[in-house]
Amino acid sequence: MRQQNWLEDLKKIVGVRNVLTDPMALLPYSYDGYTLVESTPRAVVLPQSRDEVAAVVKILARAEIPFLARGAGTSLSGGATALEGAVILHLSRMNHILEIDVENEVVVVEPGVVNVHITKAVEPYGYFYAPDPSSQQACTIGGNFAENSGGPHCLKYGVTVNHIVAAEVVTVDGDVVMLGNLAGEIDGPDWLGLLIGSEGTLVIATKLWLRLTKQPASSQTILALFDEVDEASRAVSAIVAAGIIPAALEMMDQLAIDAVERGPYPVGYPADLRAVLLIEVDGERHEVLETAREVEEILHSHRVREVRLARTSEEKTRWWANRKTAFGAMGLISPQYYVQDGVIPRSQLPEALARIAAIAKRYDIRIANVFHAGDGNLHPLLLYDGRDPQMVQRVIQAGSDILAVCVELGGSITGEHGVGIEKIEDMRRQFGEGDLKAQAAVKTAWDSEGLLNPGKLLPTAPRCHETGSGPVKRD
Amino acid sequence: MDTGQCVHCGLCLPSCPTYVETGLEGESPRGRIFLLQRLHDDPSMLNAVTTEYLDDCLDCRACEAVCPAHVPTGHLVEEWRAETPRRGAEGDSPALGGFRGLSRPLSFFLGSPKGLLWLQRLARWSQWPVLGPWITRLRFVPQPARYLVRGIPQKIPKTLSRYRTLPSLEGSRTPVLLFVGCVMDTIYADTNHHTEDLLALAGTDVVLPLEQRCCGALHMHGGDPAVTKSWAKENIQAFETSGASVIVVNAAGCGTTLKEYAALFDLADPWHARAQRFEAAVVDATVFLSQCSLPTLADSSDVHITVHDPCHLAHAQGIRQEPRTLLKRAGYALQEMAESDLCCGSAGIYNLTHPDMAKKLLDRKISHIPKTVAWVAAANPGCLMQIQSRLCEDPKGPGAVHPLDLVWNAYRQAGLIHPNPDGLVSR
Repeated sequence: MRQQNWLEDLKKIVGVRNVLTDPMALLPYSYDGYTLVESTPRAVVLPQSRDEVAAVVKILARAEIPFLARGAGTSLSGGATALEGAVILHLSRMNHILEIDVENEVVVVEPGVVNVHITKAVEPYGYFYAPDPSSQQACTIGGNFAENSGGPHCLKYGVTVNHIVAAEVVTVDGDVVMLGNLAGEIDGPDWLGLLIGSEGTLVIATKLWLRLTKQPASSQTILALFDEVDEASRAVSAIVAAGIIPAALEMMDQLAIDAVERGPYPVGYPADLRAVLLIEVDGERHEVLETAREVEEILHSHRVREVRLARTSEEKTRWWANRKTAFGAMGLISPQYYVQDGVIPRSQLPEALARIAAIAKRYDIRIANVFHAGDGNLHPLLLYDGRDPQMVQRVIQAGSDILAVCVELGGSITGEHGVGIEKIEDMRRQFGEGDLKAQAAVKTAWDSEGLLNPGKLLPTAPRCHETGSGPVKRD
Repeated sequence: MDTGQCVHCGLCLPSCPTYVETGLEGESPRGRIFLLQRLHDDPSMLNAVTTEYLDDCLDCRACEAVCPAHVPTGHLVEEWRAETPRRGAEGDSPALGGFRGLSRPLSFFLGSPKGLLWLQRLARWSQWPVLGPWITRLRFVPQPARYLVRGIPQKIPKTLSRYRTLPSLEGSRTPVLLFVGCVMDTIYADTNHHTEDLLALAGTDVVLPLEQRCCGALHMHGGDPAVTKSWAKENIQAFETSGASVIVVNAAGCGTTLKEYAALFDLADPWHARAQRFEAAVVDATVFLSQCSLPTLADSSDVHITVHDPCHLAHAQGIRQEPRTLLKRAGYALQEMAESDLCCGSAGIYNLTHPDMAKKLLDRKISHIPKTVAWVAAANPGCLMQIQSRLCEDPKGPGAVHPLDLVWNAYRQAGLIHPNPDGLVSR
């Protein structure tokens, strides 16, 4: 049964001011961090509690109107963009840290809490929250839950799924379900594991219990400056092959370095540098000293130009800020960028980078590389100007070719940014007919009408009959 | 208007006070940039909601400081405000209208020593029992000012700070020019004197050219840059004839505006180069003094201070450590507050034109002040007035004060500064 007065019903739940329908109020929601597809939501609702979320969901489901949750809108695959006339539940006001439970090493948060605020809040107790996406200064934990976000330090500490012990979620029918437990032990089927990373297509999280990690006793950040991208890639493989598990192992190429050096946190890299590795080792003090020395030796056997060790915490913070603002800094060298997220086996790094360079040449575009080298998670940044439709087409094609390379080299089309709108068709490249069918069956089991975050992740998902404004490819 | 560098990464969102407060994408820097881009392409899209979103920008520059691509959101919004009337908006928002109503009285009160003396008088009279309430109800006084005047100091000097004769120090180097400002020159005249005393203690000669003017920040934020431009010329001239090599300023808002004077003039305009030389000479007083060799005093750890970082000090000028350095050197114990660099809602005269949002931000600020501190130090008159307007409700609680007042007081108690009746400092 369609309900005509759903908007009025929503206003009764969250208040008139918390339901946006003015076209100019909706316009800024037309995309997230992924700018190749633009689509304006039908309305935006700002609930402030679990009960409000559940009530809103019930109203929308009854009216057969698709919907999705959005946090800070930093998704790089379009996860927080509303397709098919969906309504956005903007959870920005559900941003409270509810409890710091030191005894159980757990922090309880609402989904709209900013990732880095969690670490700041638990720092005085000697803890941190490990998954640290580069957008951590803005992205929210609800989005991290949806995308199973990673980050530089996930090389050693694991990704979001390893750090959420329990979750309270609202289903498409508006039911509230509690999954997981404080002990972080799996009881029965791992429903929580299924939901984390489902890109907002199965449930909306309203409360999360996160695992706290003890701050390491000591750490050392190392910069390695290279004249050859190849040598830097080989050094990465050599470090891991030597049995060292750094806390983080990051790489940037010349074009990326050029951008970040113009940004707010320049490090002072020489202009002719071809590649830089940012390496962090942590643990007990003696262990850190020992490992850092080993890493240095390996770097020197790979024709490194210079090795710098961070001397102060300010220096370390700056090096990381420089790296973590790399995507945004692309604005300084290009009007727009399209970032990819393919994964390859670490040993294939030199090959993958060479092939990406060839693709850039073939399509006559610039590609910068900033990535988590340690776990082979590439982030080629394809630079483009949205006012040039031919260039946009070339960039989309080049992106698809790069993903093909990743699959061919034995990797995957996404490491941490999610499939979203961006890679939905590439899913067919990664999975066979049977896989996709099984995935669609899971989706149907949770959301038979296809109301939750439509048009994302699964190319074969059930579709809602309602088709409002569809995706618009930028032209 | 070039908003092209914004790649929509969203890193600015949590730094924006209006986003933090409302949770609306349109009230975020990224949302504002998006709207400005669309308005640029199609000005007819402007409606009441857009005007409200754009106009709610505090111009606090927090987003500019964190933007990986240096998108000058605050500047772009200022530019939009200046251009809006020419674009034929469908009527000003109450806030923009509020500023336009204030623009003329502000030009009178801030524009000359005569006007400033009137401002000082009115501020003083506003504290008198019967006269006070009457003054705050004058036609040109916006209603929220009735609340705000509670934040001004109890004792307002009877003359401008610029009318002080300063001794010349023997064998000192080139003097520095103290930029006295407008609100600082009148309501916070004592803070200017304290700054002069500290500069003298550091062995620096100070000149106070009478011809200097208000920096013009308020007009700039409100979309009336023509006034700012004419006052900028007077300030540049005053500096050039003063013989000083450095311009010391103790108000964060003024400092930021003075450091951006060159952008007011076309590249071809000869004033551009003069403004550039002026800009290069501007130094915040806390920075200047922290580089001087002021003596280190013993800890008086019983007096706890928390520092509020004014937006135009922390975000626009990148100055955070220096006020703390000076306070610690003067023997104070610091206790940091959460969100010390989130706007208090003052933002020039934002608290007069946007009372609702300003109140929400003030509530937030007050809630973060640690219970045990004696003072909240803020190096900007707007913040001082705004924060004190609430703190005054609890006479036993902390007060808001300029960090240099605290530093001055510590050195005076240590016997290193001896103000005499002539206002001269002996050393």
